[in-house]
Amino acid sequence: MQLNRISHRKKILVMFLGLTLAFVLLFVRLIYLTVWRSEYYTEQATRLHERERNIKAARGRILDRNGAVLADNKTVCTISVIYNQIEDPERVIKVLSEELELSEESVRRKVEKYSSMERIKSNVEKAVGDRIREYDLPGVKVDEDYKRYYPYGELASKVLGFTGGDNQGILGLEVTYDEQLQGEDGVILTVTDAAGVEVERMGERRIEPVAGNDLRISLDRNIQSYATQLAYQAMETKEAEGVSILVMNPQNGEIYAMVNVPEFDLNDPFALPEGTEDSLDSKEQQDLLNNIWRNGCINDTYEPGSTFKIITAAAGLESGVVTPSSTFSCPGYIIVDDRKIRCHKIAGHGSEDFVHATMNSCNPVFITVGLRLGVERYYEYFEEFGLKKKTGVDLPGEAGTIMHKMEDMGNVELATVSFGQSFQITPIQLLTTASSIINGGNRITPHFGIESIDSEQNVVETYTYPITQGIVSEETSATMRGMLEMVVKEGGGKNGQVEGYRIGGKTATSQTLPRGTGRYIASFIGFAPAEDPQVIALAIVTNPQGVYYGGQVSAPIVRQLFENILPYLGIEEDVQ
Amino acid sequence: MAKTLAARIKTYRREREKTEYFFDYSLLFIVLFLLGFGLVMIYSASSYTAFQDSGDSAQFMKKQLLAIIIGLVAMVVVSLIDYHFWQKFYWIGYAVAAASIPVVLTPLGIASHGARRWFKIPGIGLQVQPAEIAKVCMILFLAVMVCKIGKGVGTFRGFVVMMGAPLPIALMIWKITNNMSSALIVMAISFLMVFVASPRYKEFILMGLAGVALAAGVVWYAVYSAGQGTFRLKRIVAWLNPESQAQDTGFQTLQGLYAIGSGGIWGKGLGQSMQKLKFLPESQNDMIFSIICEELGLFGAIAVMAMFIMLIWRMMIIANNAEDLFGAMLVVGVIGHIAVQAILNIAVVTNTIPNTGISLPFISYGGSSVMFLLIEIGLVFSVSRRIQLKDM
Repeated sequence: MQLNRISHRKKILVMFLGLTLAFVLLFVRLIYLTVWRSEYYTEQATRLHERERNIKAARGRILDRNGAVLADNKTVCTISVIYNQIEDPERVIKVLSEELELSEESVRRKVEKYSSMERIKSNVEKAVGDRIREYDLPGVKVDEDYKRYYPYGELASKVLGFTGGDNQGILGLEVTYDEQLQGEDGVILTVTDAAGVEVERMGERRIEPVAGNDLRISLDRNIQSYATQLAYQAMETKEAEGVSILVMNPQNGEIYAMVNVPEFDLNDPFALPEGTEDSLDSKEQQDLLNNIWRNGCINDTYEPGSTFKIITAAAGLESGVVTPSSTFSCPGYIIVDDRKIRCHKIAGHGSEDFVHATMNSCNPVFITVGLRLGVERYYEYFEEFGLKKKTGVDLPGEAGTIMHKMEDMGNVELATVSFGQSFQITPIQLLTTASSIINGGNRITPHFGIESIDSEQNVVETYTYPITQGIVSEETSATMRGMLEMVVKEGGGKNGQVEGYRIGGKTATSQTLPRGTGRYIASFIGFAPAEDPQVIALAIVTNPQGVYYGGQVSAPIVRQLFENILPYLGIEEDVQ
Repeated sequence: MAKTLAARIKTYRREREKTEYFFDYSLLFIVLFLLGFGLVMIYSASSYTAFQDSGDSAQFMKKQLLAIIIGLVAMVVVSLIDYHFWQKFYWIGYAVAAASIPVVLTPLGIASHGARRWFKIPGIGLQVQPAEIAKVCMILFLAVMVCKIGKGVGTFRGFVVMMGAPLPIALMIWKITNNMSSALIVMAISFLMVFVASPRYKEFILMGLAGVALAAGVVWYAVYSAGQGTFRLKRIVAWLNPESQAQDTGFQTLQGLYAIGSGGIWGKGLGQSMQKLKFLPESQNDMIFSIICEELGLFGAIAVMAMFIMLIWRMMIIANNAEDLFGAMLVVGVIGHIAVQAILNIAVVTNTIPNTGISLPFISYGGSSVMFLLIEIGLVFSVSRRIQLKDM
């Protein structure tokens, strides 16, 4: 037995060592798991334990050129339910459907859906959210976030545009500068147990949202506001379909105002006009809304009519086929090929020089200038002036020019184009081209965006826009300014005169297509001061009733506008 | 048998007066430490779930405490009885083990966690796992057998008898209670006891290699059949790549690994486990070691493993100094039981081996397990009490 005993002791020791070795190996395995794999498993576990809720980033504001806030954010609430935490589903359904004015079925569907979190409604007024919070219903979450808010309601509605529920630009500048305005959403991470019940002691982890950058635009709230008043006034007195007013700095393309009445309420963009039939289906409703949201200055084209004579005159002067002192004779019509084209003055203007022909807006003279240039050269100038391209304005949906193909253009087409008919451009295009001709020959890019500013008031980005220099010579430009000043001083644009200021301008009265329906577009383009233009404005009245001449309908609008904004812009009166 | 228990105790006291006997306080301390630590960890791991389910966050801890008290009383009683007393009951023990297993199939049986592994003792309502009875009975049976066969243990025939005797019991545990891990533990205990009793080495090394080869074959088969077979084959696939079975058989393993990994070196602090919040099934039971790792980190784990090593070291001392071969073999059996179970449990939790339900001795929640373990410790104390200090 004694011998055996030693053998047993040895075996017991071997067993002990073997078992200890097993423990040591497991220990090594544990070191691997807790040291090398720790990061991976911690991440996996954290992902498992946390439930995400987004925190909307505050969208950047839109400021006018003087810093007035045009688009802001206000606090609203998002109401959601967490299935696992709901204790009394019937009460939750009842309270939420009543407070949120939703149908009981739709709330029930969401409450009874088995999901970690279901959103019931977003963009709920803060007061309603606070009220729901006071019910203290388990499983109902009230999260605050931001909603876009436009302090001036209708002001510049078609320029600013609006956003959707998910902080996404839908129209206007909100679309163009969406990326800069959006910011980055934050996240609230709530620690929960496997059943989704919040673990109190762990609290919440927040990844703070990054607010979007503010956007400063060239629009001037006061000018826009006054222009809007004038536009509404004209629309009412002339019983017009719509009135558009564009005000711009012709030197650099900064747009001070862009009005298209009727405007719409940015805080309720989906409201259908009163008296809309209920029977509209969703597509018809959407079409109606799209019409309401259209920015006529940019999205729509029209036949510019006589205001386009600025371009024909500039091309004629630039090429030398005409000088201000060239003389013409207008018998009241002109024969082009087999076509007899009438002047608006049936008796004819008789003998006149080119300056007076411009003041008189004499069609035969401008047709003559166009024909002297010929199709090819005219077309070249048309392209050189930038009329075939879009202006590049920083608003979405700019319409292109509708123009004859050069090879399809005969003398008759050339004649009509020369006085602004048979082709279509956008109002912004007309204004931009006219600006470029009178500002010394620099094709500017019309725009709103000036700079983007972060929350600490640092300029993040200053926007620059291309300028094409020398589309006409300095000399031609000066001649044009002088001739257009004469138009207002003594010619058809008399109603655009502003006391104490030298104003240049051109009127237009164009019949809409199809002809003969009695629908007209009355417009006036005016700039001041005439010798060194600092501001240019275009007023377009669509389908005015009664008197429809641009000189009588639109020129007074620009006059009233200038009377107010020229002193406001610090443009000094001319003592002469 | 004629002597009553009281008379026996009297005899011991008389003997004790004559010579100094050994009492292993270290062993007692280690066992009590493990039990106390287990209670703390059961409370930590189960309180959240327990509170939600029954409103009493200490529900599991209280039940365990009761089982521990009963177990400690049983341990003291067993330690006071001369272990030779049990020698003659070895066949009865075998019969009890064999008879208790089918009881789970009777109306007394209790199904839980998808298997019938427990039965209720009528009247007192105590739940017992017959596999636990079988482990104690097998230790006794084999210790007696070793003494009876004597030198024959070293022969092939002796080996066959020794390994063959527990086989029917192990098969019954596996097949009737659907508990492969307990069956494996019974066989492992037998293997270790035979290994100690036999003077040979070579054969055991060969057997060990054969076992490894068999395991490798099963793994290969499981992968080859792409986990299409039984749930055990699926578990092997889940073992190799728990992420691939994350929603299925790999779920528990993966959740355990999240706990261990996220605990890191220092742990999250006692009570700070996230995985116990219903993410990790059986967090107070088989998977309690992963909660220990999550809350107390690598250092908590090393402390627990060190305690187990110390426990088997103390028992090794007792086995080496036991009065006779029978006492030594009893202690070896207990060492085998506790060590194999602890090793397998930690191996499962760390995904070192495929998932199988094994509890961590003294720490995991489970009344019948801790009671029978304490009875075994009582046997060890009984053996230790016979050691005269001059022998050491």
